[in-house]
Amino acid sequence: MMLALEMFRSLPRTVAGKAVGARMPGILSGFAAPLRLVTLDAPVVDRPGWARLKSRLSGICGSDLGALSGQTSLYFSAVVSLPFVPGHEVVAELLEDCDDLAAGTRVVLDPVLTCAARGVEPCESCVAGHTNRCSRITVGHLSPGLQTGFCRDTGGGWGQQLTAHRSQMHVVPEGWSDDQALLLEPLSCAVHTALRAGVKPNGRVLVSGAGSVGLFATLALRQLTPAGEIVVVAKHGHQRELALEFGATEVVLPDEVLRRVRRTTGAFQLKPEFSAPYLLGGVDVAVDAVGSKQSLETALNATRAGGRVVLSGMPAAADLSAAWFRELEVVGTYASSQQETLPSGEGGRGAFDLAMELAELEPVVQLSKTVASYPLHRWREALDHAHAAGRLGTVKVAFDPRSSQ
Amino acid sequence: MTSPVRFVSDTRSDLRQMARGWRWGRRSLVPRSAEPYVLPAKQTVFPSDWSRKRPAIVAREVAQKAGLEPLFRSQVRTRVEGLDILDRIEGPVIFAANHASHLDTPLILLSLPDEWRRRTAVAAAADYFFDTWWRAVGSSLIFNTFPIDRRGGSMATTPGEVLADGWSLVIFPEGTRSKDGWMGSFRMGAAFLAHEHGVPVVPVAHRGTFAAMPRGQGWPSPGRRQLTIRFGEPLSPLEGESVRDFAPRIRAAVASLLDEDRSTWWEARRRAAAGATPDPSGPKVAQWRRVWEQSESPDQDQLPGRVRAWSRR
Amino acid sequence: MSRPGFVLEVDDRTPPMVVHEGLGFRLENFPLGTRVVYPPESLPAVPDVDEAIQHALLNPHDSEPLPALLRAGMRLTIAFDDLSIPLPTMRAPDIRGRIIEAVLTMAADAGVDDVKLIAANALHRRMTPAELKHIVGERVFRSFYPQGDLYNFDAEDRDELAHLGTTDKGEDIEISKRAAESDLLVYVNVNLVAMDGGHKSVGIGLASYRSLRHHHNAKTMVHSRSFMDHKHSEMHHSAWRMGRVIKDTVRVFQIETTLNNDVFPQPYGFLQKREWEWSVKDQASMLAVRRGLSIAPPRLKHKMFHDLRSVYGLTGVNAGEVEAVHQKTLEKVHAQHSVEVSGQSDVLVMGVPYLGPYNVNSSMNPILAACMGLGYYFNSYRGQPVVRKGGAVILYHPLNEGFNQLHHPSYVDFYEEVLAESTNPAVVGEKFEQQFAQDPWYIHLYRTSHAYHGVHPFYMWYWIAHALDHVGDVIWVGGDRRAAGRMGFRAASTLQDAMEMASGAVGTSPSITYLHNPPHLLADVR
Repeated sequence: MMLALEMFRSLPRTVAGKAVGARMPGILSGFAAPLRLVTLDAPVVDRPGWARLKSRLSGICGSDLGALSGQTSLYFSAVVSLPFVPGHEVVAELLEDCDDLAAGTRVVLDPVLTCAARGVEPCESCVAGHTNRCSRITVGHLSPGLQTGFCRDTGGGWGQQLTAHRSQMHVVPEGWSDDQALLLEPLSCAVHTALRAGVKPNGRVLVSGAGSVGLFATLALRQLTPAGEIVVVAKHGHQRELALEFGATEVVLPDEVLRRVRRTTGAFQLKPEFSAPYLLGGVDVAVDAVGSKQSLETALNATRAGGRVVLSGMPAAADLSAAWFRELEVVGTYASSQQETLPSGEGGRGAFDLAMELAELEPVVQLSKTVASYPLHRWREALDHAHAAGRLGTVKVAFDPRSSQ
Repeated sequence: MTSPVRFVSDTRSDLRQMARGWRWGRRSLVPRSAEPYVLPAKQTVFPSDWSRKRPAIVAREVAQKAGLEPLFRSQVRTRVEGLDILDRIEGPVIFAANHASHLDTPLILLSLPDEWRRRTAVAAAADYFFDTWWRAVGSSLIFNTFPIDRRGGSMATTPGEVLADGWSLVIFPEGTRSKDGWMGSFRMGAAFLAHEHGVPVVPVAHRGTFAAMPRGQGWPSPGRRQLTIRFGEPLSPLEGESVRDFAPRIRAAVASLLDEDRSTWWEARRRAAAGATPDPSGPKVAQWRRVWEQSESPDQDQLPGRVRAWSRR
Repeated sequence: MSRPGFVLEVDDRTPPMVVHEGLGFRLENFPLGTRVVYPPESLPAVPDVDEAIQHALLNPHDSEPLPALLRAGMRLTIAFDDLSIPLPTMRAPDIRGRIIEAVLTMAADAGVDDVKLIAANALHRRMTPAELKHIVGERVFRSFYPQGDLYNFDAEDRDELAHLGTTDKGEDIEISKRAAESDLLVYVNVNLVAMDGGHKSVGIGLASYRSLRHHHNAKTMVHSRSFMDHKHSEMHHSAWRMGRVIKDTVRVFQIETTLNNDVFPQPYGFLQKREWEWSVKDQASMLAVRRGLSIAPPRLKHKMFHDLRSVYGLTGVNAGEVEAVHQKTLEKVHAQHSVEVSGQSDVLVMGVPYLGPYNVNSSMNPILAACMGLGYYFNSYRGQPVVRKGGAVILYHPLNEGFNQLHHPSYVDFYEEVLAESTNPAVVGEKFEQQFAQDPWYIHLYRTSHAYHGVHPFYMWYWIAHALDHVGDVIWVGGDRRAAGRMGFRAASTLQDAMEMASGAVGTSPSITYLHNPPHLLADVR
C-alpha cells in the first residue's frame, strides 16, 4: 500500500477550474482541483526492463497546474489515461535491480513513454533517437499516456512508488542533492529548447518569462548557443536577479518589452487598432516560456521577419497573423531528445547528458537550494505555492513523498 | 476619483486651513516683511445700497416690527413728544439728535410714525459699522444705516445721494456717543447737508438713554428705565446764513429741547429768549457728579398733571 | 501700477502659500522664517500693439528699417518660435502672428514673391496645423500653409540643411538651408524668459543635431550658470559663437518681443495675487477650484489646465541687429522677472506646475517634471544659485502623469532603459546619446508624426546636470515613489517629511527659500 495524489475525471471540477482557476487559484487548490490523496496498491512489475522506484522528490510543473485547472487544451485528453498519479519531474531510487542498475540507485526519469517502454517496434522517431517525437504513445502494453505522470499504469512522482522503464532512467551522479537532481528534467527540456531555437552567432534572443522554464532556457541558450543579446521578460523582482545570473543581458518588465526590443534593434513600432502594438524588425529568436496568450503574442510581435518563435510552454491560442505576415518559423519544443544536435553540428548526445553539465553550474546549484518541498498530504498548500511561485520568490515547488506517512 | 467621505474630510481640512490662514471673521493681516509692498489701503467699506432696495425694506419692516420693537419696549419705557411737527412738513428732513447711547437709534426710529420710519436712514460711522460684512449687513438691515466717514473721507455712498433719493436722515452731529451723558460739541455735517441739499433740520432731544445703557454696556439696565424724546421745530438755513453759523443754531435748538424736556415748554422758551438755556454740555464740576446726574433716569412722574393726551406713550 | 518683486519672510501673520504641483496646487504652511520670493507684478502693457510693432520695424536697432531691406525678387524667410513659448499659450491673437502680418504687409508692398515661413522648432515635435495656425494667425495660415510655404523645420531632412562651417572652437554650424540661403531672414521671437532669444533663436531654433550636440551636452550645461544669464552660460557662449558665423552668411533681422506676467486668467486670477491680499472672492474661487480638482477625473483636470490661455500684455517689441535687440529685450525681461535675493539658503522649495516648454497639449512626464524643477526653475537665477552648494531641493509634483506615446516615445525608453542604468547625465550621454539620436524609428516619428526627437530626453537630463552637480538632495513632495526613485531622487508625502529626510544634508533648522513661481521670476542672488 502506498499514498499517492491521484488526478481523476470530474466534470464539475474541471469546468470550475477552467472558469475561475486562472483568476482565483485559491479555488483551484481548494474545491476545484480534480485531485485527491488516495491509498493505492503498490505497483507490480512483470515485464523486463521495468522496475519499481521509490519517489524521493517530484516537481510541480506548469503543465501540471494547467492540467489541474483545466486550462490545458482538450487536444491532450487523448494522450492521457485517467485516473493517473501526476509527477513527471521525478527523482527516485530503485527498489529493485533493473538490468545494469542495482537497487538503491538514485535516478531521474526522462518521462516520455516511448516505443521501448511500451514494448512495441521502434517508430521512425525513436529509431532516430528523437524519443520525444514518438508516435506510439497510446499503444503497446501501457495505457495511453504521453509521459510518466500522465499514464494510469506507471504511476507518477506524486505517489510514494512508481514504475519506470530502464530506457527512461538517468543515474544521478554521486554527491548531487535530490534538489539538484530534480532540476535535471526541466534543464534537459531547456537544452532541447535552446537547441531547437537555431540561434545564429550573435543572434538576438528574447525569452518571455522567467519562471523555471524561462530561466533554464536562458541558461541553456547562453551555455550552448552562440546567442548575443538575451533579453528576458520578468514580472517579479527576484526573477530579474536570477535571470541576470543565468545569462540574460537585459531583463525587462512585461509592459516594457516591446519598446526595449524596438530600441535595441532599431525597429519600427506600429499600433494597430484595438490590439497590441507590434514591431517591424525585432529579435532573431523569441522563446515563449510562459504559454499564455499575451506571452506568445509578445514573442510573435517582437520577432523580425523570417525570425523564429519557439514555443516552450504549452501554448495558448493566439493571433498568428504575425507568423504569416512576417514569415516566422514557429517551432515547438516538447520534452527532450536523446539525440541533440549542437550548433557546431556536433550530434549524438542526449539532452540529459548535456543538462548534467548545466546542472553543475553554480547558479543552478544555488537555485536548487531554494526548492520548496511539501509532503503529499499538504498538497493544497503546495499547489497554492506553486501557483504563486513567481510572486513568492520560488522557482521550483516539489512534493517529497517520503515525508508523507 | 475620491470617495465622498474622503472628499468631505478634505474639504473640511481645506476650510479649516483657510479659516485659520486668512483669519475668517477677523481682520486680515499683512506679513510684516510685506508691509512696505502693500498698496495704500483703499476704503474697505461694504456697500449699503442694497439696504434701501425693496426686499431689504420689507425685511427691515418685519425685523423692526416683529423683533426690534417688542424687544425694545420690553426693556425700556418711552415718552415721545412733538411729533405733531412732522404732520406739518414733508420729507426728506435731517433729524439731528444728541447721542449718548446705542439706544438712541432705535429710540428715534421707533418713535417716528411708520410712514416716516420707513423712509429714514441712519448715518453710521463707517469705521465701526461698516468694516466687517456681518456688522454692515446687520446694522443696515435692522437700522437702515449707511456709512459716513467721521474723518471726512469720501464714501461709496454719499449722504447727499441718500437724501436725493427722498430718504430722511438721522445724524448725530456729535459724531460719537457721549462719555458722560452730556452733550458734546456739534460737527458741521448735518448743517452742511441741510445747506447743500436744501432740506430742513429737525432737532431731536432725548434723555435717559445714557442712564439706561451707557457706553460700554451691551444691554439696557434692568427695570424698564424711562426714556424721553422730543422733536422740535424744523430749522432751515436763513438767507445768506453760512454753514458755520447754522450749525450752532441746531445745537441751540437741541439744547432748548432738552431744557423743555426737563422743565416745561414755556419756561424753556423764556430761558431761551433770555439766553439762559442751561448749557447742554453740563456743569463744570467733578466728573463723577456729571455722570451721577446723567445716570438718573427722567422720572415719569416728574411732571405731575401733564396732559397725557398730547403725548404718545 | 505694478509693484516690484520682493522676498517675504514667513511670520505668524502669513496665510498658507499656494504651491503648484502638476494638475493642481496645494496650500502649504511653511515654517516660520522661510523666505518666499515673489515676482514683480505685471508691467504695464504697451497701449497700442500695432503701433509698437510698426515703430519697431521702422526704427530698428543697428539696422536699416525693414522696408529698406525688402525688394522685389528677393528670397525672404520668416522664422518664428514654436509653441514651447510662451507658457501657457497666449490667447489669440498671438503676438508672433501680428508681427508676421506686419512684416508680410511690408513685403507685399515691396513686391517680394519668394517668401517662406518656418517654425523654428529644432528637435521639438512638429506642430499640428491647428497649432501653427494659432501662432501665425488665420490670415497668414490660409495664405501660406496649403502651398507648403509655412512649415515646421525638419532637422533630419539632410537635403534641406546647410553646413555653414565651424566656429573657432570647432563647433559645426548646420542650420536650415532655406534660412541660410535667404537674402533676408526675419526671426520673430517671444522672449518669455531670459534664456530665450539672441543668437539662440536662429542658432538653435533652426539647427540640426549635428550643431546642437556641441552645446546641448552634460559638460556644457554644468558650466551654464545659469542659462538665464547668457553672459555666464557656456551654452549661450557657444550659441553666440555660432550666431556670429551665421551673421556672416545670412542677413538676420531679429524681432524680439517681451510679455508681462499676466499668466493666469480668471477664474484662476487668485494664482496671480499675493496670498494675504486675496479677497473673499479669491478665497472662494481657490476653494472651488481645489475641491473641483479633487473630484475631477484626470482627463478633465488635464483639460481644465491645458485649455487655459494667458492674457499676456506686450511690454516691448524691438527689431534689428540680433545683439543690439537682445540687449534691449533683456532689460525688459529683467524688469519683469528679476527679484533681488540676498544670500543663498540651505533648502530650495519649488512647485512644479502642470506645464513646461515640452508638454504643451501633452502630459508632464517625470522626466519633464524633473527638467522643469531642476532645469528651469532651479536655473532661474543670476549670480549664484538660490540654494547653497550641497543643499537640498524640495519639489512638488505627483510624477504620475505617465508618458504621452505620441509626443514622447523616446522618453519612455529613456526612462525605462537609460535611467535604470545610470542617472548621471555625463554617463548616460556617453553611453546612449548616439543610439537615441540615430534611432531610425525616432527619426521617423520626429519627421512624420508629432514626436520629439530621439535625443530630446537626453537634453532634458542635461538641463538638470547643473542642479544635480550643485545640490546634495532632491526630494519630491507628493511624488510617486517609484518614479522619483527611478530618477535617483526620493519622495516624501509632506513638506515636514521632506525636511526630515533632508536634515542629513542641511541639519534640523535649515534656512528655506520658496520660489513663488509661476508667474515667472528670476532670482538675482547677491
